[in-house]
Amino acid sequence: MIEIRLHGRGGQGAVTASRILATAAYEEGKYSQAIPMYGTERRGAPLTAYVRIDDTRVRERELVHTPDYSLCMDPLLSQQQAVADSVKPGGVVLLNTPMKPEDSKLAGDIKIATVDATSIALETLGRPITNTAILGAFVKVTGVLKVESINKAILKYYPGRIGEMNIAAVKKSYELVKGPVQAKFKEAPKIKVDLDVGGYGVLKDVSSWRVFTPKVDEAKCTGCKTCWIFCPENALEWGEDKKPHMVSRVCKGCGVCANECPVKAIEMVRVEI
Amino acid sequence: MSYEVMVGNKACATGVKLARVKVASAFPITPQTTITEYLSDMYAAGEFDFDFVNVEGELTSQVVVQAATAVGARSFTCTSGPGLLYMHHPMQETASKRLPLVMAVVHRGVKGMQPDHSDLMSQQWQGWIHLYVENAQEILDTCVMAYKIAEDKRIRLPVAFGYDGYVLSYTAEPVEIPAQEEVDKFLPPYKPMPSILPDEADPATFGRGFGDADPQKPWQVHHEAALMAEPVIKEVFADWAKRFGRSYGNGMIDPYRIDDAEAIITAMGTIAGSAMSAVDKLRADGKKVGLVKIRSFLPFPRNDFREMAKRIGAFGIIDRSCQPGMGGPTWHQMRSTLYGQPGPQILGFYAGLGGKEVRVDDIVKIGEKTLKAAKGQKAEPLVEWV
Amino acid sequence: MSQRITRAQIPMEELTLVPGSACQGCGAALASRLTFKALGPNVIRHGVPCCPDAVTKHPRAGAVFEGGGASLTGTARGLKAIGRTDVKAVGFFGDGGVYDIGFQGLSAAAERNENILVICKDNEAYMNTGNQRSSGTPKYAETSTNPIGPKSRGKETQKKNVPMIFAAHYVPYIATASVAFPEDLIAKVKYARDLEGFRMIIIQSPCPVGWNFDSAKTIEVARTGVLSGMWPLYEIENGTSFKLNYKPKELKPVVEYLKPQRRFRHMTEAEVNEIQTYVTERWQKLVKADEVHQVII
Repeated sequence: MIEIRLHGRGGQGAVTASRILATAAYEEGKYSQAIPMYGTERRGAPLTAYVRIDDTRVRERELVHTPDYSLCMDPLLSQQQAVADSVKPGGVVLLNTPMKPEDSKLAGDIKIATVDATSIALETLGRPITNTAILGAFVKVTGVLKVESINKAILKYYPGRIGEMNIAAVKKSYELVKGPVQAKFKEAPKIKVDLDVGGYGVLKDVSSWRVFTPKVDEAKCTGCKTCWIFCPENALEWGEDKKPHMVSRVCKGCGVCANECPVKAIEMVRVEI
Repeated sequence: MSYEVMVGNKACATGVKLARVKVASAFPITPQTTITEYLSDMYAAGEFDFDFVNVEGELTSQVVVQAATAVGARSFTCTSGPGLLYMHHPMQETASKRLPLVMAVVHRGVKGMQPDHSDLMSQQWQGWIHLYVENAQEILDTCVMAYKIAEDKRIRLPVAFGYDGYVLSYTAEPVEIPAQEEVDKFLPPYKPMPSILPDEADPATFGRGFGDADPQKPWQVHHEAALMAEPVIKEVFADWAKRFGRSYGNGMIDPYRIDDAEAIITAMGTIAGSAMSAVDKLRADGKKVGLVKIRSFLPFPRNDFREMAKRIGAFGIIDRSCQPGMGGPTWHQMRSTLYGQPGPQILGFYAGLGGKEVRVDDIVKIGEKTLKAAKGQKAEPLVEWV
Repeated sequence: MSQRITRAQIPMEELTLVPGSACQGCGAALASRLTFKALGPNVIRHGVPCCPDAVTKHPRAGAVFEGGGASLTGTARGLKAIGRTDVKAVGFFGDGGVYDIGFQGLSAAAERNENILVICKDNEAYMNTGNQRSSGTPKYAETSTNPIGPKSRGKETQKKNVPMIFAAHYVPYIATASVAFPEDLIAKVKYARDLEGFRMIIIQSPCPVGWNFDSAKTIEVARTGVLSGMWPLYEIENGTSFKLNYKPKELKPVVEYLKPQRRFRHMTEAEVNEIQTYVTERWQKLVKADEVHQVII
C-alpha cells in the first residue's frame, strides 16, 4: 500500500487533487481511498488530505500517519517543517515553490523535489489553482501512477476545455520538476508553526493565509480611516500618527482595504517566498 | 454497470436515484450536507424524475417525507447528529404509522461534529430498523435494499442506515454502480398499504385512534414486526448477492475469518473496516481472532451470536457510543442475547467516541485482550475506554 | 429613530478577539466587529450554528439551531428575575437561525415582545455548511442546493421579507443595515441597544466565497446593494412608523449589483429585467411610505 499526504489551502483544490489521484489509481486497476482532513472549510486556511493506493480494497480508515510521500500545493506552506513531518524514512516531499530542492530548509531523512506549480497554473489556467499543476510533478518524481491515468481522471472532474488546460498544466510540471535530492538537514528545527490553523474561534496567527499583503503608501494616505473601519478582521491598527498599521498575525490579505481606499494609498503586493 | 471513484455521500445519492425515489427532503448539516447537494444537482440536471424539497429544518423534513410516503410516493431523507435529535418527535410517528421510509444517518456524535454512533443509537426507541454500513459500495447497495426491506408486507417499518461522517461520507473510494434495469428487477414500485388516496382508501380504517380495546396491542404488533425484519433482511441480502454478485455475510452480520477463531471481536461502521486489517495482523502473528461486522443492530442478530457462542471463548464488543449511566448498547445487547447460555466472556470496549481516531493497532490490542480472555484469563477491567 | 453619527464619532474601542477563523473578506466578520463596537461590553451574546464571523469579548450563550428566540427569552427573563436588566440579551445569528429554522421561536418571542435584541448577519444562504439555499437567498441566485441546470434557474422564489414580517408583530424597532454604511449601522445598533422590548436589525453581509466574487470587493458589493435598491436601508417603529435612511436621487441599475457576483452569472436579460421591475416597484412603495412616515407593505 502507498500512502500520500497532501497539504494545501482552502480554495486551492487539495481535496479535488486527492480525489483525482484516487481516480487515476482506479484507472490503473488499483483500489484507492481519499480522506480529507476537514476542520472548517475556510477559504485561505491550510488543510490536509490523505490518499491510499493498494492492489486490494483499502479497509482501514485511520488517517495517514507515516506517508510515503508528502505533497504541498502552497508555496508559503512549503516552507513549514510540518509538511515534512513523519514522512517514512527515504520518503519524498514534493513542494510547490520556485526554490531549488537544494535550497529548501526542510529537514529529515527525506528527499525533496520542487516545482513552481503556481507559475505553471497562472500560465496555463490563468489562476493560481495548483491542484492539477502539481500532479504532473508528483508522478514524475514518485512513479506511483502514469500521466495518462492522471489525465483521464482530470477529464472526469473537469471535462472539455477546462480539462485540456489542466492537462497542459500537468504536462508542464512533469517536465519542469526538479529533484528529488536528499534533504540537507537531518534534524528538524525545534520551533514549528502549527498548520492546524482551522477550527472555530480565535486563531493564533493567520499570516500564512496571505498570498497578497497590503502595503500602505503613507505619503498618499490622508488619514480618512476608511481602511480601518472596513477591515473585517480589524487587522489595521489606527496609529497616533493617524495612519493605518497592518498587524501581520491578524491580516488575511483579503484586499478590502486596498479596494476601499479613496486615494489608492494601499497596494496589494504578492508575498515574497 | 459502471464504476466511479466517489465519496460516501455521493454513493448514497446514487442509491436514492437507483431506488427511483420520488420525493426527497433534507436540511443541510455537516457531515450529511453534500447528499443534499448531489440530490439538488441531480434534480437540476433532470437526471431522474423526483422532487427535492429544500426545507427550513429537520423536523419539517421528516414530516414532509412521512406524509409523501403515506400518499404513495417512495421518499428519502437524511441527516446527522443534532439534526436527527430534532427529528425525534415526528420520527416516532413514521414507525407507528408503519411507513416504509428510508433515512440515511451520516454519523455525527451528539456532543460535537466528529463521528460516533450516539446519534442513531439515541433513537433506538423509535421503532425503526437500524443498519450500520462500513464502506461506500455498501452505502449504495444498502440504500437500495433498505427500500425492499422496509416495503416488505411482513414488516412495513422505516429503515435507518448509518455510516460514519468524514472518514466515509467525504472519503472517496471506487464504487460499482449497478444498471438501472437490473435494480428495477430487484426493487418493484412502491405500493402503500393501506392507501390513503380518496379513491382507494378502505373506510374501515377511518376513525381508528385512541380507545382500542387493548391499549398494549399496538406495542406488541410493532415489536413483532421489528423482530420479523431478521428473516426479511436475510432474504433481501441473499437476493442482492445473487443478482449483483456482492454479498455482505447474511445481511445481519458479515463475518471475517471466524471459522477457526478462538475469540471474536465485533464492530459496526468504519471501525469494522480497520478491524479487518487488525485481524489480518493478528492472524499473521498466529493469533486466532475473527471479526463479526454487525450490520443490523435492530433487530439484533441474536440467533447468529447464540450459534457462535457455542464454540467461542470470548467476545470483544466495540461500541462507538456510550449511554451515560447505562453503558455501551452493543455490549448490553450481547449480554442479554447470551444470558442463560454458558460460555464466553463478553468484554466491552469504547472506541471512536467523539470522533477519536481508532488505529488498526488499537484494534489489534482489543483482539489480543479478547483472545487472552478466551483462553481463560479473566478480563480486567471488563469494559474499557480505548 | 436612530440619530446620524459621523465617522469621527465611531468608537475606537475594539471588542472582537483577533484573528478570527472567518474567510478572507468575510462580510459577517465586519458586521460582527461593527455591531459589538456599538453595543459595548455589558452584553450576553447568544449564538446558534452559523459561520464563525468573529469572537467577541462577551460571555456566550449557545443554543440549538432552532432555539435562538427561546434562549434569548430565557436569558432576558432570568436577568429580570435577578434584577440585572443593565445586562443586554443580544443574539447574533445568521439567516438560517432567523429566517428559517429559528423563525418560529423568534416570531413567538416577538409576539410576546420579549426584551431582546436580535441581530441577523444575512449572507443569504447556509454558508457554514457550504452555501445551501435559505429563504434569504435572492431569486435566481445559484446555491449548492439550487444549482443551475435544465430544470433549475437557481432560487425559484423571492427573498422572504423578514424585516416586514417582524414589523407586523408590532415590536418596538426593526431596521435593516449594511456593512458598507458603518455610521448608519452603528447608530442603529446603539439606538436599539437602549430600547425595551423586541428589537431586530438585519445586516446584509456579503460572502465572497458563497456569492462568488473577489474577496477585496465585499464592501463594494454591499454598497451597490444599497445604491441599487436591492438592499434598502430603513427603520420601523412599533410596526407602523417608517423611515427610509438612504434615498439616492436615482437608483443604480440592479445589473451593476448582479454582474460582479458569479452566483448570478447565468441570468438572462429577461430575468434581470424581472428583478429590476421588482426592485423598482418595491422602491416606489418605500419612498411613498417614507413620505407619509407609515409602513406600506
